[in-house]
Amino acid sequence: MKEFFIKLGDHPIYKKLLKEPLTYVAGAVLLSVFQIAHFTVFGKGWGVTSTFAVWGTWVYNALGGNAGSWAYYASEKMQQELHTSFLADGGSIRNLGIIFGALAATLFASQFKIKKIKTLRQVVAAILGGLLMGYGARLANGCNIGALFTAIASFSLSGWVFGAFLLVGAFIGSKLLAKYFM
Amino acid sequence: MAEFTLDCLGEACPVPLMKTEKKMSELSVGDVLVVSIDHSCAMKNVPEWARKQGHNVEIEEVDDGEWEIVIEKAK
Repeated sequence: MKEFFIKLGDHPIYKKLLKEPLTYVAGAVLLSVFQIAHFTVFGKGWGVTSTFAVWGTWVYNALGGNAGSWAYYASEKMQQELHTSFLADGGSIRNLGIIFGALAATLFASQFKIKKIKTLRQVVAAILGGLLMGYGARLANGCNIGALFTAIASFSLSGWVFGAFLLVGAFIGSKLLAKYFM
Repeated sequence: MAEFTLDCLGEACPVPLMKTEKKMSELSVGDVLVVSIDHSCAMKNVPEWARKQGHNVEIEEVDDGEWEIVIEKAK
């Protein structure tokens, strides 16, 4: 059995499809095809972080808060989001799918590894970075998927504006990286 | 013809690439740098950068999710 898997892992087609990284062009084409499929099936563009806001609200409401009265949840569609459950919510399942898909892909490539944390600095940067990304994504009404990728694919000017400032952010971020991590 | 090592285990993009660029600029022609990484996207962008610079590059998979990129400075 073990020999079979070693042989399978060495097979050129298996290597090409599951072990070696796709080219940027192949990745771009696949993303485009899937986002068109997403739009066709669900009637709305692909997004990631709106769901985070909903998760946060679930926690807030569970602790006794009342987010239902907020302007953000004024529409009927958003009201529904407050009362749906995790497994009935498309956005939640899609986000879990990204994580499970990524896990499956590293397992198929036998590249799974639990990485060691090198310095406390990494931990601080990861937590700070995560908080800033989440907060920024909500202020901008989307992340690099909802506000950039899907917006540009929908011929929205806002996507290009988001993209321009994404570059500004990346520039500042790389300066900070060079200062604190080199 | 000295050999140098660079430990980038546990480091995420773009830190391995930035460290490699910096280290390569300190080496002289003919020297070899072995970069240890465990971040799969660095396995793509570090060799790509090095090949674009004209260096000789080899990638070795040393363990599950762990690689050594061997770069020989060519110019």
